[in-house]
Parts: sequence; C-alpha cells; structure tokens
Amino acid sequence: METIELKAQLKKQIVEFLNLLEVKPEDIKDDEPLFGEGLGLDSIDSIELIVLLNREYGIVIEDPKEGRKVLVDINTMVDYIEKNRTK
Amino acid sequence: MGKIVVTGMGVISAIGNNVTENRHALIEGKSGISTLEMFPSKFVGSLPVGEIKISDNTFIKNLQVKEQGISRTTLLALHAFNEAVADSNLSGKQISSFDTAFITASTVGGMCHTDMMYNDAKIDTAGSPFISSYEYAATSLYLQKRFSLQGHVNTINTACSSSANAIMYGAKLIKSGRANRVIVGGVDSLAKFTINGFNALHILSAKPCTPFDEERTGLNLGEAAAFIVLEKEEDATHKKNYATLSGYSNANDSYHASTLSNEANGPYFAMKAALEAANLLPSQINYVNAHGTSTENNDLIESIAMLKLFENAPLFSSTKANTGHTLGAAAAVEAVYCILNLYHQELYGALRFYNPIATTKLAPIQAYTKIPLSHVMSNSFGFGGNCSSLIFSKI
Amino acid sequence: MFYIHSSSCIWAQQFLFDDVATNLQEPVEKKMYAVEPSYSNIPPAILRRMGKAVRLTVGAAIPLVENNEKPNGIIIGTTNAGKDDCVKFLNQILEYNEGMLTPMNFVQSTPNAPAAQIGLLTKNYGYNITHSQLGLSFEYAILDADMMLEENPTHNYILGAVDELSEYNFIFQEKLGTYKNENTTLAQLYNSNTKGCIAGEGAAIFYVNKNKIGATAKLVGIDTLHTEDENILQEKFILFLNTNKINSNDIDLFLSGENGDNRLDKFYNIITDNISNNSTTARYKHLSGDFPTATSIALWLASNIVHTQVLPSILINKDCKKSVYKNILIYNNYNGLQHSFMLVSVVG
Repeated sequence: METIELKAQLKKQIVEFLNLLEVKPEDIKDDEPLFGEGLGLDSIDSIELIVLLNREYGIVIEDPKEGRKVLVDINTMVDYIEKNRTK
Repeated sequence: MGKIVVTGMGVISAIGNNVTENRHALIEGKSGISTLEMFPSKFVGSLPVGEIKISDNTFIKNLQVKEQGISRTTLLALHAFNEAVADSNLSGKQISSFDTAFITASTVGGMCHTDMMYNDAKIDTAGSPFISSYEYAATSLYLQKRFSLQGHVNTINTACSSSANAIMYGAKLIKSGRANRVIVGGVDSLAKFTINGFNALHILSAKPCTPFDEERTGLNLGEAAAFIVLEKEEDATHKKNYATLSGYSNANDSYHASTLSNEANGPYFAMKAALEAANLLPSQINYVNAHGTSTENNDLIESIAMLKLFENAPLFSSTKANTGHTLGAAAAVEAVYCILNLYHQELYGALRFYNPIATTKLAPIQAYTKIPLSHVMSNSFGFGGNCSSLIFSKI
Repeated sequence: MFYIHSSSCIWAQQFLFDDVATNLQEPVEKKMYAVEPSYSNIPPAILRRMGKAVRLTVGAAIPLVENNEKPNGIIIGTTNAGKDDCVKFLNQILEYNEGMLTPMNFVQSTPNAPAAQIGLLTKNYGYNITHSQLGLSFEYAILDADMMLEENPTHNYILGAVDELSEYNFIFQEKLGTYKNENTTLAQLYNSNTKGCIAGEGAAIFYVNKNKIGATAKLVGIDTLHTEDENILQEKFILFLNTNKINSNDIDLFLSGENGDNRLDKFYNIITDNISNNSTTARYKHLSGDFPTATSIALWLASNIVHTQVLPSILINKDCKKSVYKNILIYNNYNGLQHSFMLVSVVG
C-alpha cells in the first residue's frame, strides 16, 4: 500500500475507533499533534490507539512509553506501521 | 444526638475468613497475594491477585444456600454478614425489624460469572439460573429475602469508594432517625470482567503490588466482603463497643474518568471535610489507612493530598498490599482494619515497601507497633473522581 | 421534605404542560426509546465517549446547572447505566480471548459515570453519589437528598435518575419474563390483562433545596418497602399517610405506576382501596414504558402538575373533576417486591 493511501486509511480508522464526532478524516493534518492541542486526545485514547494498531496492523506495543513515541501524529504512526506491520 | 458506635464486624478476604484471622494475618505481615486459580481465565497461574481460596460449592454448602444462581459475590457477602450480626449479638427479630437498615455496595455484582453473563446476553440462548444475579442490587435482594429485612435496603456504587458511601449512608439513616441500627459495608469478587478492564487500562501489576514505593508497577485485584454494625451509643451500652464513627465525607475530584488530578482536589477535599465533620484538627489524626492502590497515579496524588492537608504527615499505610484492591469491598474491609487498630491500639506494618516516591518522600509504617491511637482515617477513591474518607475514634 | 425548583426530563415523549399532548410516540416491538435532543450543550469531544445513560443524564442536567446557583452535590439513582458498555466489554473479553482490549467500554460501564460526568462537566467538587437498588434506585437517591438537606438546610442538590434501554438489557429482562409476549399499543396497554410490561428509558433531573421561595413543587414525604406480602404493604401505606399527616380524602390525584402487568394488579388495588373514591387517578407508563427508575418520570410529571395545575388528559384514568391539584400520591411497584410512596404537594 502506498504511504498516501495508508495515511487516509489510518485517519478513517482513528475517527471511527475513537468515535470522533464532527471530525472528518480528511481534516486531520499529517503533522497535527494527536494529543494536547491538535485533536485533544487523552491517556485513554492513547491506549485505544495502541489496540487499533494491534487489531488492524498486528503491531504489539507493550511499553506505554514506546507508545508515546509512536503516537505523535499521523506521520509518526504511519512510519511505525510501515516498518512493523505484520498484517 | 449521641455518638454512633461500631458494635459488630465481619470480614472475609484473601488473608482470612473472619475478623480474628484477618487481624492475625495483619500482625504477622502475611500477604494474601497469590496467582489466580479459582476460575478459568488466560491469567490463571500467572496474574497476582488477592483471591479467597474457597470454592463457590463450599460456600453454598457451609452457608446452606438452597437457591440456584446465587453469585459468588452474594456468597461472600452472606458469609461476612453472618459474622457481623453474630458479633453484634443481633437477634433475628432485630435483623428483620423496620428500624434496621442494610446498606451494601458492589461494583461487580454477579458479573463475576463473566462467561455465564456473556451467554445470557445472547438472544438465542435460554437464561441461566444466574440471569437475575448480575444486578448490583442482587446481593441485597437475596439477603433481604433470606432475613426478611423490612427496613431500608440499598446498594451504592461509586466505584472503588462504594462501601465508604454505604457506611456513610447508614450513619445518616441513624442520625436522621430513619433507622436505629444499620448493617453496612460492601462486597466484590474477582471477575474476568474487572481483571480484563483494569488490564486494558494498563494498571494491573504483574508482580505483588508495592503501595507508595517509588518503583510501583500497578495494582493487584482482590476479593472480599466486609460489614459492620452501627448503633446509637445510648442503645449499645450493654454490649461491646469497638469504636465510634466520628466523621465521614464524600467529595468529587472533577477531573477525569479514571485518573486523579495533579492538584489532588478530590482526595484533599474528602479528607478535609471528614475532619470538619468529626470536629478534629489534622494533627489529631494518628494514622491513615490510605487508598494506596499502588498505581503510579493514585499513590503519588494521595501523597500530595496528605502533604497538603497535614503539616506533618501522620503514620500511614495501605493494606491493599495484604488483600489486593477489593474494589466495592475495599472501604469496608479497611474500616474493619481501622477499627481493629483502635480497639487493640496497634498498627500493622506495610508490606513490600522499599523506597519512597522521590518527589513526596513519604514512607508508610513498616513494622507492627503497639501505639496509643485516638483517631484514624480511612481513604477510598474511585473512578469518576468519587473520593470518600471515614474517621473512626477510640471509645 | 424539600422543594423542587426546576426539573428536566428526556424520555419517550415530548410534551409541554401548556399544550395538550400531540405526536405521541407509540411502542415499537415492546420498546419505547427516549427522544434524544441534539445535545448542542455538550462539547463533541466529550459527547463522543458518553454511553446513552450518561448522555441522557447530562443532557437533562446541564440546563438546570446553567440556570441555578452551583449545587452542593449530585445524587443519582440508576440500575442499568453503563449496562450496554458492560456487555460490549464482555464481548471484547470473549471475542479477543482476554487479549488486547480497548478500555473505553470498561470505563463507561460503571453506573456512577452519569453522576461523575455531571460533576466533571460542571466542575463540581461536592457530594457525588450513585444509588443502584433496582426499582428503588431513585427513591434511595431522594432519601439521600432529603437527609443531606436536613443536615445542611442551605444546600442545593442536583437529584435525578436515569436508565437506558439497550439491545442487551432488553434481552436480559425478556429472559426474566419482564415484558409482554405480545406487542401492544399505547391505548391497549392497560386493557391487555396479560403478564409483562413494555420497556422504556429516560432521565429526569431535579434541582432541589429547602427554600420555598420560587419553588414549583414540594416533596412532602417518601417511603420504600421490600415485600411480596399485600398485608405488609397495606400496613406500611397507612403508616405513610399517618406519618405525613394526610387524610386519604385529601389526595387529589393518585399517580399510579401501573405498567399493564396483570401480576401486579393486586398491589395497586391495595392503594386504590385505601384512598378516597373521589381521588382522580392517572397513569404514565403507557407513555414512558417501564424501567427501574421510572418513578423519576412520575415525580417530574407530578411536580409539573402541581405547578401548572394542568393534568394532561392522556394521563387520566378516572377523572373526578378536581378543581385543584394540591396533593399527589405516587405509588410504584417494581417486580412485585419493591414498593415506593411519594407525596408531592403545591408550594403552600
């Protein structure tokens, strides 16, 4: 899958998985921070996203600290998925 | 009106099947944390929990439960209820009287039978005998029927502070003249449901928990039931008085669904208001039985709250290292331990504490100590920011 | 005793007391779902995580919190708030074999979430509690508010109840024989003479205190009872009237919790046999469906009836043409075991 397609797919999955009302997947910028300012997600969302990576891409992140490095923005997530996906 | 006194206690936990066994285990520093074994789960043999190693069938036989579909939660509650009313010498007539209330608390109810509930939730299966047991109120309804309770019967759910609020509610019924004696406390059993819930939140420790330790890695779940009997002092002159319930309060942290605020607002307000209700100064508290779950968030924030309220932090510890976190039963179990502290003028040493949290530097009491105690406080904080504190005082 | 100052309700109907009910919602397949508003007053970032019970409660509570002095606490009764998330989480546990699970369902499954969420959204550090005693959950919340106000007469509380109707709790209750075997209509419910009721849901929230000025209704008394014995019910009912110093002739309206289940008729008959023939009687569960905290809808209706002096005709069972509704008796029976009485009066 091309990176650009993967980005679009991931945005759609995030919106659905976190039930982000009033957020359109295409409105999420690739370098917009997921936590704090940007999308305003919190610690529970970060766990939900780790589960998303597991269910959709077969990626296992055990250490939440590692999760924090991956879950910065769409770019960092896609980069990690491309390198580590098992499905 | 006069004081509210404790005239009976009953408890079953991972460290003992009654009050005496629990006290001796506390004195000896016995840990009730073992690996899960009593129901099928992926975590059997690996996850540390505070499990009561008695099967449902043994309880059913010993408690002479004839009905089908009575949950483990209800069995544990009945066991502790029997001990509490016997200890307080309540007659059958008193137990069922209009002026006796029974207030319990639970966060699991019959959901401990997780697989059964999964099947019962499917449209195409016949209901199992447990179908009516999943409600939080199921335990109280069984005891209501079994003992023909005619006074107020209620169940409270404020997550991990539930049984503190059950104790408060009972005390208010007495204070306001709506009951003359109350049997109050709570119960929860271990469940696949809660184990997986706390695991999903990444706050279960893979090792026996280490409350207030710098290197703590999360909590261990436990199961327990505990009830105490409260009466008006003037009605209880002829019987044993263990302690008085001198203050209580409930406050909300108003910050997040599952974590406490950095400012420690809820814990601070709960402790402060309980002191005000008891008409005590912070310096008069001799010991705090902390909520102390051993999660990164709770123990730090609770330490901050204690430092904010007390000029010199009092002696404290968390008995969750002994019992595990028993959720809806926790405040009732810890109330029993606080009452034992006062009645026997003794404190129990904290288990598995190595190094204080670097920023707060608070260390729990680490050895069994005979010590004069006048007032002890017990903290319980729950999801949804539901924080409660109770204060018990020496007779 | 306390006063109700304002109230708000989200349930299966939308009607106001100054116009006669129109566009009534009929039960569909024995279910009556609440008509939910758009929740424009809840931030979307927070709304996305709310289970239905939390939405209903917060949606009903926010206008009351915005229009009144900050309350000293929040007191909620509920039996099945979070039950839907509970079963969703259960399904995750089994389907993913206790593997990596999303925690949101678990966090939302706890029944104290509605009260906690009101506290969170309104920055309320005060008393916050949830009662869950099945068909008496709301009653024990009321009793709690009553005790809090006796101890703190200057306080104000948000008091209310919520229950949600989800696919799953319908299945549980259906297996327990709670609902009718046959479909029914709003007009037919009470004439069916069959066992079972229809399912409903809703949230009703009240702003209460001890201050008479500006109040819309007065809750004079409340009592509860667990019994399957009609004689004990009768004894307790007479005691309730005596305790609240009300003569059965002075009950202008009896707002009955009948739900079309013929197994419960004997209990409701005890009440009608012990009040005056001149009391108007009214019912509401054909409009709301039944659920453990349905009495919160009854209290909302009663407080509006004493305030507006309008008794919507759709509620009337036996009309004794009262010129004034001064005292309203609410009696409810849940499952043939849990009973409650409330007395609601005009602000004298």
